[in-house]
Amino acid sequence: MTTASDVLSSIQSAFPGAVLESKVESDRRLWATIDSSKIVDVCKHLTEKLAFDHYSGAAGVDWIARNEMEVVQIMTSHGAHQVVAMLKSKTPREKPTIKSLANLYWNANWYEREIWEMFGINFEGHPGLYPLLLGDDLVGAWPWRKDFKGYPDLTTGKRAVERPTADGYTEYFIPPTPAEIEAGTVPIKLKYPSYREREEAEIKSDAEMIMHMGPQHAMLPGPFLLDILVEGERVHKAFLDLGYIHKGIEKIMENRSWLQGITYTDRMCYVASLTNNECYCGAVEKILGVEVPERAQYIRVILEELSRIQSHLIGTGEFLTLIAGVGYAPWNFMIIDRERIISMIESVTGARLTHTFVRFGGARNDLPEGFADKCRDALKYIESRTKEYIELFNQDPIYHMRMEDVGALSAETAKRVGISGPPLRAAGVAYDMRKEDPILAYPDLDFKVITGTKGDCADRVDVRLREILESVHIIEQCLDRIPSGPIMTETKVPKKIPAGEAYYRVEDPRGEMGMYVISDGGDKPYRVKVRGPFYATLQTLPPLLEGVYIADVVAIAGSMDGCPSEADR
Amino acid sequence: MDGIIETISSFAASEPAIYYLIIGIIGAAVLAAVINLGAMYIVWLEVKLLGDFSARYGPNRVGGRWGLLQIIADAIKLFTKEDTIPKKADKPVYVWAVLVACIAVMLVAAAIPFGALYINGTNYPLVVANMDISAFYVEAALSLMAIGTFMAGYGSNNKYSLLGAFRGIARMISYEVPMGVCVISVAVMAHSLNLAEIAQNQSLWYAFAQPIGFAVFLVALITDLGRIPFDQSEAEEELICGYNTEYGGIRWGLLYFQEYNVMLLGSVILALLFLGGWNGPIIPLPILSTISPLIWMFMKVVIILWFLIWTRSALLRLRIDQVTDMGWKVLLPLSIVNLAWAVAVGSYFA
Repeated sequence: MTTASDVLSSIQSAFPGAVLESKVESDRRLWATIDSSKIVDVCKHLTEKLAFDHYSGAAGVDWIARNEMEVVQIMTSHGAHQVVAMLKSKTPREKPTIKSLANLYWNANWYEREIWEMFGINFEGHPGLYPLLLGDDLVGAWPWRKDFKGYPDLTTGKRAVERPTADGYTEYFIPPTPAEIEAGTVPIKLKYPSYREREEAEIKSDAEMIMHMGPQHAMLPGPFLLDILVEGERVHKAFLDLGYIHKGIEKIMENRSWLQGITYTDRMCYVASLTNNECYCGAVEKILGVEVPERAQYIRVILEELSRIQSHLIGTGEFLTLIAGVGYAPWNFMIIDRERIISMIESVTGARLTHTFVRFGGARNDLPEGFADKCRDALKYIESRTKEYIELFNQDPIYHMRMEDVGALSAETAKRVGISGPPLRAAGVAYDMRKEDPILAYPDLDFKVITGTKGDCADRVDVRLREILESVHIIEQCLDRIPSGPIMTETKVPKKIPAGEAYYRVEDPRGEMGMYVISDGGDKPYRVKVRGPFYATLQTLPPLLEGVYIADVVAIAGSMDGCPSEADR
Repeated sequence: MDGIIETISSFAASEPAIYYLIIGIIGAAVLAAVINLGAMYIVWLEVKLLGDFSARYGPNRVGGRWGLLQIIADAIKLFTKEDTIPKKADKPVYVWAVLVACIAVMLVAAAIPFGALYINGTNYPLVVANMDISAFYVEAALSLMAIGTFMAGYGSNNKYSLLGAFRGIARMISYEVPMGVCVISVAVMAHSLNLAEIAQNQSLWYAFAQPIGFAVFLVALITDLGRIPFDQSEAEEELICGYNTEYGGIRWGLLYFQEYNVMLLGSVILALLFLGGWNGPIIPLPILSTISPLIWMFMKVVIILWFLIWTRSALLRLRIDQVTDMGWKVLLPLSIVNLAWAVAVGSYFA
């Protein structure tokens, strides 16, 4: 099995002098600063020679004190080995430019667009640097740079000015201050076609029209813009845009203490808040180097698996209403079943959705008395119900007509587009963070990774339902084995986390959730980058929708089990 | 066979035509009141049953623990809402669409016998216009409803509405044909096109005499009613609300109501054509004997309605191309097979 040091020596021998700095954190983590002129070649080398076929994401970091910017490419493999390579490339803060990887990795497109609009790092050779999360008006101020003062500028008081637009709406714009005009640093309005213009350029004939399936539409789990170009019932092209609930959580967390950050991870995706907590706390624990007591590990595993069950139940149920209408009875059955699980979680954490339960080095509460028995009852119930659902869908001919071969992703494509979680496993790729990057008590537990065969909508639902059964199995083992002992680490967690960085991955109900946390030794994080699973899944949506019927748009988009809140962050 | 209006009129046959007119107007008013009230309580039945099917309560506050007045409250709300017409709508088409739909429903209702009264050993069908070709006429008038919904979709000047209207027409065209062939098969077996006679003469229910025809007619009927799995023209998760997306207040209320009116009429037609109509044992009690055909009819209709509502909570929605495929490639051949069967064995049932 390839380890991190093997990867490092391979890069060093292939590109002498390209690695400026390096650190082998463990067998599974490699940190390396690569000469920015060679980053594309190094990535190509990794992909071709060392099976790094999963471009997992990219993060921008603004090192204002060192007067440079950094782009961190997160590279890993779909099961060939478990090394995560964090490849940094530096660029000066004035006119920051980095070579784009978008031509090498299809899914690098969005990550680079996001870094460009947030940090102003220009990606050379990117096919279309258009804003993704921000509105067109806000581009050019580079909000996630450390010297950004906010819109409107809080230091100079009221700056945003109302003005009517041609359509009769009101828009806000920020005129430059006299000082800015004098210094000649007036933000220049960037020239690029607007979203609407890009869309309308695709209309080829009179028979085609653009139809909105978002941001306001009955099928959406949360707002994201989805426009489809249709001719009759046939979809020719789909367009997707994010940013309708962009909360800037990553930036907010830079301005809150380490502990306060946990509550923000809850709000990224409220149906998977425990795994989000886990991801953030795990990363901080890694920087701190604390060991979580065994009992706390088991409690965290139990709750995260319960949270996975309830997330899959609501995800599947909601999806079914999209193809059956809200009168469809199994939808409500799933909500009722989910209530059992939610009340189990509530009995431990005290909250139904936003738990803020995981702590650095442990968990907030111990399990209440009699939890194990109640939990076993609930699990038995969930298990029998889930088996019923699986049987129901297997037998339903209309279900098969609507789901079979709809939105099918082959294993090859699924790997290439960087999708993760149930949609990837449905395509037959056994890729699960609980196996790839085991955390907590997972190495001791016996479970298998559920996979499908065809990667169509039916497989995605089937994988989710069978994962519920697997989670039930995991929790039952945990309840049998859970040791007694403390639930918080002995070492006191300091208010100021020592300088360092960590990348931590967990298996979110929707796929691979990773957080890249940097500390500069202060009482606040220097940078938190969230690599969410649904962001990657959403990016694959438009190509999947080409050539299908309108009704299939709903089926395909729904089967991804979306959480736009987490994609936007 | 004489309908109730002819029968009443025949008592006043010597009187001038004005009596005939007055009786006709009263009949129409009673008819409108009955089917609209019926439709309202179908809505109530639906929400109540859907609640039961999916382990919820359904309405349980307004009008006692059964929520019996909930639908009245809803109707009052719809009447008092602001009447809005979209700025860019095709105004006359938008406004008339609702009326066309209402008129289509009333045209159908006029020719349908809703039951019969048993007086002195004879069944008097309760029908406003007792026509000799009523089965054929009803089938034709029912498809007028699709014109109303198409107008609504087209006049709204909205993309969702337009697609909903297209889907409605595509569905109507592919399902009226097998439905019509099934009606013909029944007529062949009954030797009559009069709904009242078809119902009256069914000693063996045609559901058993021609099971294929019954199945095809049932599927085509659900499609015609636009209920799940065939509600593509409304498909709220795809097209927001389909053809009535842009309607609000009482205009929407009327359009929505016509669907339930048609549901009621469709159930009555199904009972008349295939389930023996009002035939059943006469209850040997003074008043009950008179209305016992009515009771049988009512029970059959409620069971059909229950079935239609059940499908909604149990089935998924088909895609529009699958719907049209099924109409032309499965139901039409089956209905023709059924017609052949009816022609071959029809004489035994006459």
